[in-house]
This record gives sequence, C-alpha cells and structure tokens, in this order.
Amino acid sequence: MMSEKSNRPGEARASGPTVADSLASDHLAPPSPLLESCYEFLGDADISFARYTSTTFFQQEMQTLWPRAWQWACREEHVPDVGDTYVYDIGPYSIIVVRSTEDTIQAFLNSCTHRGTRILAGEGSGYSPAFTCPFHGWSWELDGAIRNIPGRWDFPHVCPDTHGLQRVHCERWGGFVFINMDLQAKPLLDYLDVLPEHFKHFPLERRRIRLHVQKKLPCNWKAAQEAFMEAYHNFETHDSPNGGNAQYDIFGKYVSRFIHNIGNYSPQSLDDYPGDKWRRPPMSEDDLLAFLGAYGIEYGRVPEGETARPLVAEALRKYFGETLGIDMSQVSECLMLDSIEYHLFPNMFFFPGINIPMAYRFRPNGEDVDSSIFDLLILEPLAEGAEHPEPPEPVPLEVEQSYTEVDGISWLGPVYDEDTGNLAMQTQGFKTSRKPGLTLGNYQEARIRRVHMTLDEFMSGAGSKE
Amino acid sequence: MKGQKFLRVADKQDVARGKTLCVDVDGREVLLCHTAEGFFAVDNLCTHAGARLCEGKLKGHRILCPLHGAAFDVRDGNALTRPASVALDTWSVRVDDDGISLLLIVSADD
Repeated sequence: MMSEKSNRPGEARASGPTVADSLASDHLAPPSPLLESCYEFLGDADISFARYTSTTFFQQEMQTLWPRAWQWACREEHVPDVGDTYVYDIGPYSIIVVRSTEDTIQAFLNSCTHRGTRILAGEGSGYSPAFTCPFHGWSWELDGAIRNIPGRWDFPHVCPDTHGLQRVHCERWGGFVFINMDLQAKPLLDYLDVLPEHFKHFPLERRRIRLHVQKKLPCNWKAAQEAFMEAYHNFETHDSPNGGNAQYDIFGKYVSRFIHNIGNYSPQSLDDYPGDKWRRPPMSEDDLLAFLGAYGIEYGRVPEGETARPLVAEALRKYFGETLGIDMSQVSECLMLDSIEYHLFPNMFFFPGINIPMAYRFRPNGEDVDSSIFDLLILEPLAEGAEHPEPPEPVPLEVEQSYTEVDGISWLGPVYDEDTGNLAMQTQGFKTSRKPGLTLGNYQEARIRRVHMTLDEFMSGAGSKE
Repeated sequence: MKGQKFLRVADKQDVARGKTLCVDVDGREVLLCHTAEGFFAVDNLCTHAGARLCEGKLKGHRILCPLHGAAFDVRDGNALTRPASVALDTWSVRVDDDGISLLLIVSADD
C-alpha cells in the first residue's frame, strides 16, 4: 500500500520521526557524514531466484566477479613482520598476501609457476621466509622473484620474467589489506566511493580484532549478506522495535549504508505492523534503559522529563572508556549506540560505531552455490599509542553450531543465531517458489538492489575496469 | 628398567611470550613454545621434510614451518595443514622457580 504522503515510488517513508530527527535531538552531534542522506529510487522489478540458486549463474560469478572485484583478504596486523603471510581463498582461487619488506605488503596467486600446484596449503595467517612448492621444490623470494629451481639445467626456457610468482593487485585501506586479481582493475581508491572521506572520522586502522568468528551458512553468499543489509527484519526476526524507521543511503555503485537507532525507537514507524506490541502501549523510557543490562551495567529509572537514549550513551561512554582506556566523553550518541553499517561491493561491511563495532565478509564456500562463509570481526578501538596485539585465530562454526558457543560474543550470540536462522528455509523457499523472484521494498531494501545492479555490470564484462 | 624424570632445560625468561627456543636434550632438538596458554614442547624438526621449526614462527598455538608453511598445534603436536600429515612428538612441560623442565623417559641407571 502506498503511503498517502507520496505518489512517487521510493519517496514513501515510515510514519513518525526519522533517524535524522533522532540525531538532531541528540546531546552530542555526530561527525558530519552521519548527517548526510543519499537515496535514489532504483526500480521495483523482482530479483530472480536463479541468481541465488543457479550453478550457471554461480560459475559466471566465479569467472567475471570474484577475479575482478576488490575484496579484503586480511588485516594489516595479520602480517606484522617480514615473511608473515595470509592465505585468502575465494571460490576456486587462492591468494597469498605477504609482508615482503617492512613497508611492503604484496599479493600473489597461490600457484606454482612450474606445474601449477598450490604453494601454501592452509588458509589464514602463516609465515614463510621464502616460498617453496611442495611438489618439486621450486622456490621464490618474498617479492615473487625466482629463488631456486632444482635441476635448473633442464629449464633453459624458464626466465625470471615469466616464472616469478603471479602478481595480484594489493592495496590497503582502514587497516584492511585488499586484493584484486584483475591486473586491469582501477585503483582501490576509485572503488571506495565515499568511504575514505567518511572514515576519516572513524579510523578503522586504529581498531584491533577482539574476536573473529567464521561460520558456514547454508545458502548462497548473496542471500547471506542480504540478511544483514536492512533493519526491516528486526521486528519479526529479532522481536525488536528498532529498525522500522532506519535510514538507507546509496552513495554510488559500490557503497551503501544504513543507520538504525538504539536507545530509542519510533512506535509510529510500526503503525501497520501486526498486533499492538510496542505501540499500545509503547515501551517506556525505563524499558529502553534496560539495554544496559546486556553489558552487565546496573541501571535505575529514567528521571522525570528525560529520555533513555542519552543516559544509555553516557553509561556506555563510561563503560567503554574504562574498558578500552580511551576518552569517550565527546563521542556522539549516534557513534556510541547506533547500528551504522556501510557496505562495500561485493561482500564487505564496515561498522564505525562503538557499541556495534563489526566488520563482515560473506563469500562462497568453495564452489558450492548453496553454501557460504561469514567472517565476523569485532573491531575494538585501540587506545592512543597502543600497538596492535596479535590477532586472535578465527573461531570456526559449522552450520549447525550456535554463536552462543563462542567465548566473548556476549549478547550478540543469540542475535546472530536469529539472523542466520532463516537462511536454510529461505534457500528452500527459493527452490520451491512458483513466483520466479524475490520482491524488494523500494526504500528499506534498495541496498540489495544496488548490489545486484553492480553485479550485473560485472557479469556483462564491465565492472571495476578503468 | 625405564623411569621418568624432569630435566631442567631453560630459564623462564629465556622464552618470551609468543616466542620459541630450541634446546638440546640428549642430542635431540626440542622446541620450547611460550603461548598465551602456557609453555609447550615439541620436536624441532618438521615431520614433512625435516626443516628446523625454530626458523619458522609461532602464531597463537601454531608453529609454522619455514620451508613449506605447514602448521602444527604445539599443544598436542598435531599437523594442521599439508604438506605435513604426521604429528610432532611432544613433551610434558613443568614450569616452576627452577625454570622450564621436560619430562623424559630414562633408564633406571641414568
């Protein structure tokens, strides 16, 4: 049903106050990028289920998307010393990231230039003072130059120019190491759209990985990430009132964002949701203050005439300030509390907030169209002057395992179980449906559509090229 | 007759957290590994091609071979990645005021 407020598609919004209204009434103004809004209507056609289930489509992604898209492979702190490596696997491909000199991080295809054998077996962080193929013992220096070929006399046709390790583009941003297998790819900076400008205000390079969880999900990689691209599901999936009035921004082909408030909510935004829950009567300010219980913080009642949001923010400034050893006294309510989620095409998410401080990556699990890997990093702010500690090993979770099994994930464990709990049923529904595609909301689900539009550019052979 | 005894092999301060130290035990190279979970001792030679693991690197509880990048779990010696597939030998470690000691099997007349 179209809102009475607008006749043009994409212009309708939830009733009641907006995120921008909420930020305008906060005590501390957020950094300017969080006050921007940037939306355009991108269409309302259904998205074919075959894009999620077809092995032909999946194989085409393997040929035209993954070998040509920028993607983060690891964090810089995974490779702090010369010789430190990180192996990143994507579909059938494997990439070696290596710190080859104190100031240089390079990347190569993980494939021997003799007969093609994968050189480093394990995924993740490792160490190699030089690379040696386990098959015939060809070896290379950290910069990819040939080091030694046993029985060199038999290979007069092999020369340094043709048989060094095969280079992969490698650039850094925000403490992440990005790779791109396409030697014609445009520079990472051109691909990041507004991210460098926005994240000047919240430098991700000054974060450390507190927790890394790597979970297998029973669905296509796009279905997995799309479960995290809107807050429209909060009401039904999380039994939560936040999200009905979230703000959605499309900054370009590659970058989008949502912001949804925590510590307050809009009862009016739920005006046509089923039942009376959170509307008649609405939650009290005292109820909203109870969020602090998630951190074990004692809380009382909200004084007459005040609201919960600034009190929750202030309590968390104190809590995180003491826990992290950082002065948080001037951090805005928005950064302190809200879920602020930037997406970078094709599969990466960055959250600049303090209460919600994550990075996500969703990728195919090998060459299985119906299986994906969700890397969840909790990126905690690092105290001024502190060096990055050694990153924790990823905690692996199989499909049937619960996030609540992960030490230190706290109140987020059940939330991620709820987020990922729909995916097997959604995938089955894709395959059952007579209706050939999924339908998206014009505003709340526009980010999903933007990803598919950019994916189409890659699939047609355009995409990231200069 | 065989018995067991602890043999002191190093001072605690010889092996900083996150580092390793190769010690000679009756002519055999043993690698002491100081992880966040404590001290562990494994064979210093990779079970794949015999490279010296002391020239590799300890990351978390994994020791990484410098030759082909194979990883072993220093807590139980298990090979985690190819090309290694055979576990490293391990020793029980005792750490006290006397330093770091390994539990060795000895003949009764030792």
